[in-house]
Amino acid sequence: MSTALPASPDQRTDAAVIDDPREFAAFTRLLPDAANGERLAESSLRIGGMHCATCALVIETALHEVPGVVDASVNAAAQVARVRWDAAQTRPSALVRAIERAGYTAVPDTLAEARALRATEQRTMLWRLFVAAFCSMQIMMMATPSYVSAPGELAPDLAQLLAWGSWLVALPVLLFSAAPFFRGAWSALARGRIGMDVPVALGIGVAFVASTGAALDPGGRFGSTVYFDSLAMFVTFLLAGRALEMRARHRAAEQLEVGAGRLPDGVQRRCADGSFETIGPRGLAAGDVVRVPLGQVFAADGLLLEGRTSADEALLSGESHPVPKVAGDTLVAGSINLGGPVLMRIVRVGADTRYEAIVALMREATAQRPASSRLADRIAGPFLLGVLALAGIAAAAWHVIAPERAVWIAVSVLVVTCPCALSLAVPTALLSASGALARSGVLLRHLDALERLSHIDHLFLDKTGTLTESHLTCRTLAACDACDTAWLGDVAASLAAWSQHPLARAFGTAGARIEWQAVSEHVGAGMEGRDAAGRIWRVGSKDWVAGGAQPPNERGAAVWLGCDGITLAAFEAAEQPRAESAAALRALAGEGLRLSLLSGDRVEAAQGVGRALGIDDCRGAMRPEDKLAAIRDAQACGERVAMVGDGVNDAPVLAQANVAFAMAEGAAIAKAQADIVLLGNSLQGVAAARAMARRTMRVIRQNITWALLYNLVSVPLALAGLLPPWAAGLGMATSSLLVVLNSLRLSR
Amino acid sequence: MDILYLLIPLSAVLVLAVIGLFGWALNSGQFDDLEHEGERILDADAHEMVDAPDFCQTQT
Amino acid sequence: MSVRPAEALPVYEDAPVRWFALAAVLWGVVGMSVGVLIAAQLTWPEFNFGIPWLSYGRLRPLHTNAVIFAFGGCALMATSYHVVQRTCQTRLFLPALAKFTFWGWQAVIVAAAITLPLGFTQGKEYAELEWPIDLLIAVVWVAYAIVFFGTVGTRRVRHIYVANWFFGAFIIAVALLHIVNSAAVPVTLWKSYSAYAGVQDAMVEWWYGHNAVGFFLTAGFLGMMYYYVPKQAERPVYSYRLSIVHFWALIFTYMWAGPHHLHYTALPDWAQSIGMLFSLILLAPSWGGMINGVMTLSGAWHKLRDDPILKFLIVSLSFYGMSTFEGPMMSIKTVNSLSHYTDWTIGHVHSGALGWVGLITMGSLYHLIPRLFGRREMYSTKAIELHFWIATVGIVLYIAAMWIAGVMQGLMWRATNPDGTLVYTFVESVKATYPFYVVRLIGGLIYLSGMLLMAWNVIKTVGAGQVETVRIPLLPAHA
Repeated sequence: MSTALPASPDQRTDAAVIDDPREFAAFTRLLPDAANGERLAESSLRIGGMHCATCALVIETALHEVPGVVDASVNAAAQVARVRWDAAQTRPSALVRAIERAGYTAVPDTLAEARALRATEQRTMLWRLFVAAFCSMQIMMMATPSYVSAPGELAPDLAQLLAWGSWLVALPVLLFSAAPFFRGAWSALARGRIGMDVPVALGIGVAFVASTGAALDPGGRFGSTVYFDSLAMFVTFLLAGRALEMRARHRAAEQLEVGAGRLPDGVQRRCADGSFETIGPRGLAAGDVVRVPLGQVFAADGLLLEGRTSADEALLSGESHPVPKVAGDTLVAGSINLGGPVLMRIVRVGADTRYEAIVALMREATAQRPASSRLADRIAGPFLLGVLALAGIAAAAWHVIAPERAVWIAVSVLVVTCPCALSLAVPTALLSASGALARSGVLLRHLDALERLSHIDHLFLDKTGTLTESHLTCRTLAACDACDTAWLGDVAASLAAWSQHPLARAFGTAGARIEWQAVSEHVGAGMEGRDAAGRIWRVGSKDWVAGGAQPPNERGAAVWLGCDGITLAAFEAAEQPRAESAAALRALAGEGLRLSLLSGDRVEAAQGVGRALGIDDCRGAMRPEDKLAAIRDAQACGERVAMVGDGVNDAPVLAQANVAFAMAEGAAIAKAQADIVLLGNSLQGVAAARAMARRTMRVIRQNITWALLYNLVSVPLALAGLLPPWAAGLGMATSSLLVVLNSLRLSR
Repeated sequence: MDILYLLIPLSAVLVLAVIGLFGWALNSGQFDDLEHEGERILDADAHEMVDAPDFCQTQT
Repeated sequence: MSVRPAEALPVYEDAPVRWFALAAVLWGVVGMSVGVLIAAQLTWPEFNFGIPWLSYGRLRPLHTNAVIFAFGGCALMATSYHVVQRTCQTRLFLPALAKFTFWGWQAVIVAAAITLPLGFTQGKEYAELEWPIDLLIAVVWVAYAIVFFGTVGTRRVRHIYVANWFFGAFIIAVALLHIVNSAAVPVTLWKSYSAYAGVQDAMVEWWYGHNAVGFFLTAGFLGMMYYYVPKQAERPVYSYRLSIVHFWALIFTYMWAGPHHLHYTALPDWAQSIGMLFSLILLAPSWGGMINGVMTLSGAWHKLRDDPILKFLIVSLSFYGMSTFEGPMMSIKTVNSLSHYTDWTIGHVHSGALGWVGLITMGSLYHLIPRLFGRREMYSTKAIELHFWIATVGIVLYIAAMWIAGVMQGLMWRATNPDGTLVYTFVESVKATYPFYVVRLIGGLIYLSGMLLMAWNVIKTVGAGQVETVRIPLLPAHA
């Protein structure tokens, strides 16, 4: 993308918004006064059009050319520019202009704060992990002599030296790297619960104290072996597991944010006198006409009035392939205008826009704790109490048998048994699954739904808007023999494109462009236009097109096309089944799902669509109560039911089903009831979600089985004194890591 | 192996120094945006070679 | 129009880079010539000529010091001064001090060249130079550190390119190692006694010796590799993230690999075991670096066909991989029981030295020298290609000869009769080694001739080029 923006007088008003200090807070922060008294600000701008890392260089150079810019760095991976500038010399609009001159787009980046928080969290985790790993290595080096030397070969004072060296290097691990575990344990205990961190913290703490004792007094109570190496390695592996889990969490959050884009700060609205004013997006109302420049985010849902462009609708499909848009096409709030400046009429604003609804849904989804996680937590509590008890018993028993081993065996018991596998098994799997689904355009509102989805045996589908496109499609019914049918279709479509009538819009926008002169719309009749050859064409109702002559008889024809009074073609406005529906339904049926179609439309219409898609059980003329009854009956037979719908009257039915899917295009209330929203508006999403649900359940079962088996085997070993602390730590950490890695497989 | 009385403390001090170094690097953003950094050195020399005569401009 | 004086525009300080680069070529020829001479002496002792100053015992350390510190050291200083300026987009810190490091280092080399044949030695491998020269080395090294870290500190690019991390680690490690190991009690101007004694001294010496290999000959040259391979290939490092991980992983496992030089000596068994263990662990980070460098060419292997400089660079990495595999293998006690004191050790050293250090230096200098003289390419690319093949043949002859000789010696020395007596006398093993010494000499001569070809090429390049000032990009294109 290297087309420069044409300069327009309204770019000044754009600047007025972006330069307004009150708008700053969203993407700029003022830095405390620098040493030489200059007032510095730091802005975060989201760059569009970057296709490789070298672009970052070009943008940085461009920014540096702006007087007043102190520092500029572009993060190629996140496509964000961070610019430090002197408030006395420049302003954000100048920065944006510089970037645009270089051939890219820039919008203020309000996701900066969330991103910054994640970045800080990652940095701290990386540091803790590094300290733990590095110190583990060093301690291991110092511990190796005692492992490899024959008894008596290592002089006692040398062994002492090595022990103290290990102690010193273990301190950072204990105080810095392991801090989160101690903090977690403390906060759990303070709430009167036994959290996952409690045995971990206890194990680390006891191991450290006992090793210190052994180092101080090798002949004393704690024996002469020190276990700083086991301790450090244990912390390292645990942190590695937590780091992976954190990565999964962040990735899910990023994926959810990526499509959300952001609403622009200033929107150009056309005034009554034809000039444009800039207002905030909250000031828009349905019916307003706005001009959307290249690179700006569409502030609300609407229709494209004038111009041609393409839009980045990543928030719907997860993909950034530009979607071509011409006059009459829907534009979605939150998507990005990629092709060129356009005029747009607002249809829905604010909370009603799809964008707002989706963002709200997303926030909900990430904040949840699914039931299965809560269950695992409930089990974890008593489990941990049991572990502590076991450790105490082991200590007491071994104190009698072999006192110098008592502490170590207790530590081993504490450390080897960990419900981390249990507590991690479910959440990480669900999170990975939801992230993977979000990437393919399926939004999981309730993480629990995945589990229910894996057991579904009967799928109910609504018709209009679910199985069919939400708009009508025109199909050529008949045409005069001597004419090229396809060309006639193009002519009709291009003439009809000038009208907003639903039947006219049913023609769609595909097809060749034909130049029309003197186009006029006749209300109640149709569109009339003159082509380059001077012929008068009409598209619309039968009699008007025939112009007085006797029109041919075509049953079912809704729209007619004629030229100079001669009727040439008839079109039927049909419901078009969604293209992928047939294949998706076949796949679902193939997996053993029973399919049923419930429609409020006429029975013939329902059966027509149903048969076309391979559904045998098609019921029409169903009122909402009838649909509800149908679901209840199925459930009474013991079936577990999923429902896909999108209409307002589907809402109660969706609430009744075990798992509810809603199309993203559908009514807000349907989405509110749904467990899963199909952002891509395709039934493929249902198949994908089901497949993912079964995979997830499989992974969760694997994780839990592993966790149980591991504990069953390792606890007796530890109790019997057969598991040295280093092995215990290694085992526990590896077990947790395995679980997390297994769950991460789902995000592939 | 009395030499270990020198080498072990030395090594412990070095560990702390290395950790400090890593911490500094992390906090000053050395590990951000790594793949981009690998490509930087390739563009740097776009205007490396400057012919000496062009260097000074003389008054006409 | 107005006059713009040259001083107003910042320029890189490339004079020390130029001097060190040319010095590296000179000392390469000298050091390798001494190597050829002592190889000849091992084959035909007549080449001692009965002159004490030319005797094998005195010339061997001259050879090692010349190739490691004179050739390798000058190459490292040249490239580190060049790389740090280009990657930090700033002029060398304290250019006068940088020039001092040049003259100081040459003084060290000349002092070595005089004192070693005179027989003044501390008797510690790679640390033979007597205490006054050790002091000079320390002074020069501190100056070097100031210049290098000062340049990094005054950088105009926020990110410190990975090569600089390797150079920085090399500088600091060598300073530490040198100061600790060279601690000595002077008796006369040219005689001192080590501060350590007996097996303690051995431990310190090989703590130094192995880490000198690890940081001087590995980390330093990896810094070179991480800059010149991407520059010559015109592609970024395969995985920059891996290069960072590689660096820290290498730092992790330093310090304890040294004892593998002391297997089956008076060093305690457990210390030997540690040496073996950590030498094996070192294999992983080393290969990470090799893979990273070689895979930089991924998707552009065809460049190897036509570009002999790339051949030098990539083949050097193969030898690096080979040596860092062979080394850990030889650290295993059972293997070491065969290889210790044999020529296999020499073979291993030279596959690393000729294969890795030599070839990466040659490749880097072939890239660097023309650019220091206002040209894009050396005077003769054909000569570079010829040099590559000559060098490779030389290396292969050398190490093959030494492997066979080494294994043979090891086997001969341990062969015992049923009654427990040795089958072979020591002299018999020496006689059996003779033909391999001849082959090794030929290999070394071939390698030296390649170096002479390089010297010729460099002289012609310098003659055909001109010294130019290079402007530092005014806009910090990367901040």
